[in-house]
Parts: sequence; structure tokens; C-alpha cells
Amino acid sequence: MKELQELARKLLTEGTVKVVIGYEQGPRGVRPVFVTDAADCEKLIFDRRCVTNLATYLNPRRKPIAQLGKAAIVVKGCDARSVAGLIREKQVERDSLAIIGVRCGGVLEDPEGDAELTSETVSVRCGGCEVREPKLHDYLLGELPPEPPVNPRRNEQIAALMKMSPAERRKYWDEQLSRCIRCHACREACPMCFCVQCTADKSQPQWIDTSATLRGNRAWQTMRVLHQAGRYVDCLECERACPEHIPLGLLARFVADSVEPRFDYVASDDPAACTPMGVFRTDDEEEFIR
Amino acid sequence: MTQQRFLSHEGLVALVTKLVAAGTQVIAPVRASDDVEQVDYRPISKLDEAAFGVRLPRRPLKELFLPPTEVLLYYRQTKDGVEISEVPTNARPRVILGAVPCDAAALEVVDHVMSWDYKDELWFARREATTIVSLLCNLMDAACFCTAVGLGPESFRGSDVLLVPSEGGGYVAYIVTPKGEALLNDSLAEASEAAFAAAEAARSEARKKVEPNLPSIPAEFSQWLAKNFNDPIWKTLSLRCHGCGACAALCPTCHCFDIVDEHDGSEQGVRRRNWDSCQTAKFTMHASGHNPRATQAERFRQKVQHKFSIYPSRFGEILCTGCGRCSRNCPGGMDLPEIVSELMAKAQAGPEVNKQ
Repeated sequence: MKELQELARKLLTEGTVKVVIGYEQGPRGVRPVFVTDAADCEKLIFDRRCVTNLATYLNPRRKPIAQLGKAAIVVKGCDARSVAGLIREKQVERDSLAIIGVRCGGVLEDPEGDAELTSETVSVRCGGCEVREPKLHDYLLGELPPEPPVNPRRNEQIAALMKMSPAERRKYWDEQLSRCIRCHACREACPMCFCVQCTADKSQPQWIDTSATLRGNRAWQTMRVLHQAGRYVDCLECERACPEHIPLGLLARFVADSVEPRFDYVASDDPAACTPMGVFRTDDEEEFIR
Repeated sequence: MTQQRFLSHEGLVALVTKLVAAGTQVIAPVRASDDVEQVDYRPISKLDEAAFGVRLPRRPLKELFLPPTEVLLYYRQTKDGVEISEVPTNARPRVILGAVPCDAAALEVVDHVMSWDYKDELWFARREATTIVSLLCNLMDAACFCTAVGLGPESFRGSDVLLVPSEGGGYVAYIVTPKGEALLNDSLAEASEAAFAAAEAARSEARKKVEPNLPSIPAEFSQWLAKNFNDPIWKTLSLRCHGCGACAALCPTCHCFDIVDEHDGSEQGVRRRNWDSCQTAKFTMHASGHNPRATQAERFRQKVQHKFSIYPSRFGEILCTGCGRCSRNCPGGMDLPEIVSELMAKAQAGPEVNKQ
């Protein structure tokens, strides 16, 4: 993508930014790249294989990246919601970023794949995409592609779970969560897990068992998704990182889907929006207080 | 003691049935029920449940010897003090059938540290109770580099028997240890010279498929790494690393653990050991709040240094089998053969050493 490479070259040469966070072809499919030398801009690509939500790399825990200096970051419309989330929650300053928005017609489920986009190969998060053109950006590149195909898998999973009784649903999640080995890969890959100290790492007191037993696993995953209320954007980095293939995005979707009707809130790409946990409203339903 | 015999398909079927009937657990690569493309090491009750040569099992054999979490002891506070009951350290006999040779080798590599400053009773009880029958590997892809770390898809290391597919669905069985011989003794026939020659050819063919992925890692590499602890390359190589530790969870040789006491009620509790990983910030967090490995650059460096320098300098071999699981499963696109190859190129480029 020449347009992207030229813009990156210009930003680095003129000194507007010190690093461009984008995508490159790696030895195993497309992966994140950090371009600091204008001569390396030809590495940059953007296509349907650019699955990763690069906003993860703006997380303030990533000190070596922040130390490189002002960054330009390539974002799809969906990823812009994570960038907005980080700005909204004061984790990154808007002025410290150059946002290169790219128009996107859907990405593959697997960044190592090279398939055309079909209802089977497209990521489950692309169906019904309303942000093919990112709104939060300093530069906007590419032509507007057609709407991506819809992969029905996730919605089928949700429908199947909704049909279950609470006991059956509990059994389903216990089976899934019993596989968790508490490596916390989900947390480390998540753009919105930015706490300086995670509750799971506190040992005095030990709020959550560190052992990979069902009791501790339930507590850990429940706590993590509850903290994602108003933050979760369905980028599925947690699910991709999980070495046990637990459908963590599905769990977080339930939280997001519960927040939406109760607080009239969807995590958007508007950095100025007030989050449900960050605002007090007298007209909150408070249906849980009896 | 390697000797070659012939094991027929029928002989193997009968062996599995006999073992299971005698109460020996038989573990083999099995297709996961929810995902046909995934293979895991799991107990089987008859041979046709096994899926040999389909894909590399998603997880290595590590968890069968060092589970992600296990109880070390139970404790109870009484009027007179603390009552402790330890868990038994005897293990049930079992056979692992169709292990990938690099997964078998990993266990022997980790044996060093498990018998270094103390002998890990749980690890060695399981090691001694387990007989490992490996199968020549033809599952290699671009992430594999077993031949670069002194192993190979045809390696005997860590296996009691290595099977190489032969005529009529049978195998040429390379008997590596007396334990392997004791397991198979009644099931074996003489291997014909032709069958043995074909097996040797298959072993050398398999090796050739991995060798181009990465040249053999020279002994000097370990010293170069130790001297270049402060090289800026650690920072640049690790930028895309999330520090998620999925690599360590799936690694056949990563063996670090944490020991915790968990209270259950007010008077009793359990002491457990749980997998841990040097890729997380908490791993080196001091009680004072100081963290000597403050960023992912230092944690990533630790991982490479431990595998390719610290472990070799202490135990004489690399703490990596080249299985490629870390690269295949990395959500950030880190690629170990690429990283090692870049570091080796830098090591060969010259004697220049960054001042500490």
C-alpha cells in the first residue's frame, strides 16, 4: 500500500513522529511492526490479514515503545475504539499520537491465513461493521471497500447459550474455564487491561487464588470481564492470545451486551464519551438494588 | 543400546489392549473432540483412538510430569500446632505412545534442573513410572528447528523406543532403553534388512526437512549472549512481544513454578505449586516494589538468555527443543527461529561487545 508507506516516510523524515506502529509481512503471516527508520517504510502493508488491534501497543505498560517517542499508529475503524478508550481513560494523550486511519472491508480470523474473505474465513467481529471508515484519525487512507461478509459463528454461539438454563450455562462456562491455566495472556494482550497492578497479582490480601483450579479460574475470568464493562470493543485479542482457546470474547460480549441496554452505552470511537463506570447519573436504573 | 526390531500393527493393537486391561494408563495423540484440526496427548483405551502423524500435539508432554497446578501438602491448624499431611509421591505406571521425539527429549533436558539443588520427587516419580514410545516426526513446518539444538525428528533422546513406520502398517522399533525393551519384548519380531534400511532412509529424510530452517547453534553462541547482556537489540527485538507468556505455557522446557498456600476456611488449607512465567512483571517483583526486570525488553532477554546461555552454561545443553510452539502460537508474531538467527548473525559479525 503505497499511500501508507509514503505517509509514514513523510512523518518520519519530517520528524513529526519517531515511530510508526503498523503491519508487516512476517515469517508466519502478517504481524505488528515498529518502523523508526524512514528507509524501512516499505515494510508497511495493510490488507485483510491485518488482524491485530495495534492499540495494545499504546498501553502505558509498554514503556520501551513509549520511550521511542511520538508514535503514528495504523488503526482500523474497530481498533479506533480502543485508541479512544485509552484517551478517554487518560492512559494516552491525544496530542502524543498521529492516528493513521485505514478504511477496512473486514479482516480474516487468522493472520497467518491468506484466504479470500468469506463467511467462513472472515473474523466473527466484522459482521455488520459500521466503522469501515474510522472517524478518529489524523490521516485517512484507502478507498471505502464493500461491506465484509458475515461470519455467523459467534452469534450462533450466543443464541445457543441464551437458550440454555442458568445451570446449563454454568456447566458450559465451567467446562471452558476449567481449561484456564492462569497464564494471564488474555490480560497482557488486551489494550484495555492497563492497570498498574492487577487485582489478580495482589497477594496481601490474596483476593483471587493463583492456582489453575476452577474456583480461582472462575474468580479471575469473572473479575476481568466485569472490569471490561464499558471498555470491551470485541477486538478478540484476549481470545487470540489464549493458549487454551477459551472463547473469552464470548464471555466479554455478554458483559458488553448487558451494559448497552442498562446504561445506553456502547464503547465507541468518541474519546469524549462518558463511560458508565466514570459517570454518576441520577436516572441510572439500579435494578439490582432491591 | 539401540537395537532394531519389527513391531507389527497387530502387535501394537494387542499391546495397547493388554496394557489398558492391566491398569496401565496409555496416553497418545488424540484428535480433540471439539476441533478436528487439533491434537492433544490424552489417555486412550484402544489404539484406533490415537491420531498418529496428523499434527504436532497442541501442548507438549510437560503437564503430564509438571501439572499446571498440583497440591504439595495439606495443613490444618490445631491446638498443639500445625498438622501437615504430604501428598503421596508414588505414580501410576503409564505408557506414552506416539510422542513427538522433541517432546520426549524435552523431559530429559528438564531432568537436569529437577535434580540440581534438590531432587524433585513428584517429577521423578512420574518420570520413572512412564515409558515413552516416540514416533518418527514428519509434522515439521517453518517454525521447527530441532536439528539446530542438537536434536532431530528422528532423535532417540528421551525416548525408550522410537518407532519408524514400515511395511504393512507396522514399525521398525529402535529399542533405546531397557525400559523400552521390557515394554515391547513380547510383541517384537526380527526386522528384515530391507525394512531397517528403509527406516534409516526415512530418518535421514525427515532430518533433511528441518535442517534448512536454522543452522546448528554453536557453543560460542552461549558466551556471546552472556557478554551482550546490555545490547540494544533486546529492546528492538521485543517491541511486538505482549509479555503474555503463552509461549512459556506451551513450551516443553519452560518449567518455572510458584508455590502458594491457599486457605480453605479458617483452620486448614493447601500448599500448591503452579506454573509461572518469567514473561510476566510479577515474576521478579520484589516485596519492596522494585522490579529488576521492569519492562518486557528485560523479560524477553531473560527468556532467551536462560534458554540459550544460562542453562547451557550450567547444564551443558540448550533449554529448547526447537518444537516451534512459541512461534506458532504468539499473538504478537514473535518468531524464535528468526530471533535466534538474527542474534547468531550478530554474534558472527564480529567481536564487538557493548560495554556494560
